[in-house]
Amino acid sequence: MKLGVFVSDYKLTSDTLDRIKAEKLGIILVANGVYHATTKEGGKASSLLDKTPNLYALSDDITIRGLKETDVDKRVKVVSYGDIVDLIFNEYDKTAWL
Amino acid sequence: MGDVKLAFIVQKPQYKGETSRLAITHAISYQTVEILLEDGETVTPTLCFMGEGVLGLQSGQNAMDLYGITSTETHVKNCLLVDLDVFVCKEDLAKYGISEDAMPDAEDMGADKKIQIVPFAEIQKVVEEAKHVLYF
Amino acid sequence: MGTLTIGCFPGLVGNMSYDFAVKLADAAANKGHKVSIWFSGNATSSVKANQKHLKDYSTGEKHIKALLEKGVEICTCEACTVARGIKKDEGIPGVQWNAMHWYLAKIHAADRVLQIGGE
Repeated sequence: MKLGVFVSDYKLTSDTLDRIKAEKLGIILVANGVYHATTKEGGKASSLLDKTPNLYALSDDITIRGLKETDVDKRVKVVSYGDIVDLIFNEYDKTAWL
Repeated sequence: MGDVKLAFIVQKPQYKGETSRLAITHAISYQTVEILLEDGETVTPTLCFMGEGVLGLQSGQNAMDLYGITSTETHVKNCLLVDLDVFVCKEDLAKYGISEDAMPDAEDMGADKKIQIVPFAEIQKVVEEAKHVLYF
Repeated sequence: MGTLTIGCFPGLVGNMSYDFAVKLADAAANKGHKVSIWFSGNATSSVKANQKHLKDYSTGEKHIKALLEKGVEICTCEACTVARGIKKDEGIPGVQWNAMHWYLAKIHAADRVLQIGGE
């Protein structure tokens, strides 16, 4: 299955994301989830970014936090709401919000 | 369109928030969805508890006396009464030291179904086979 | 074009996941997709009419009315809404009130579903 997972928090309290198996896994960072793309803890990027090459972060949620697209890890693609709609319909057949 | 399979995955514990309870009641509503569908169309949910979602399932709950609300136990029993498949992750029960015997049962209410304690691989299969997944 | 059903459970003020849900619905409607939104749990408080939009607070009414204008179907869980003390005649016109099976029926027909949980 092709699963698009929305991550909306920085501190993940569940291990669901570690346990989900998908033929294609996409992680879409929204709300406080964008910090996974922009923030390093102790100099290290978030381990969430190692889970899949299909990483996206919502532009509005980056900007609202006073962050810039240049702060975003190179592995993450910055997307708009419209882009997210396209991802949902064209790239993933199921979605999950964590 | 026929039957549409859904995976309801509860990964949050009960009682502080209402999310887990809403997952259960939404799954139960499959019983009446046919009034809004064309003839022959159905929805078949499988309700799965994993992670912290397994924490508040034990029998012997007293929510009505203590807080004046229906207990999770009662909701789960209702699921069994309406023939919903209810899966609880075996590994997570073991992880949190919860005995499988602590799971509620609705046999005395006439339910044919029982809670099914399954390996996570079965829950993964439910997610893969469902047309849509709903994480709570 | 496809059909998107969004289940929105988080509350209006105090959780910006609600804001995400309505903005996503708007973006999908703008692209020509058929969108339906189901409000349950704390999100149902957002269907009460005559909300005062103060700049410190997210608003639901303005977005709901705009989405209804675009043909988005919005339904609130009647049980969750009345439990919160909101009566039908206090609701935003155009928002449907129904039981949980409305959501399941929309899911049955949907190409894509996004369930946004509460808290």
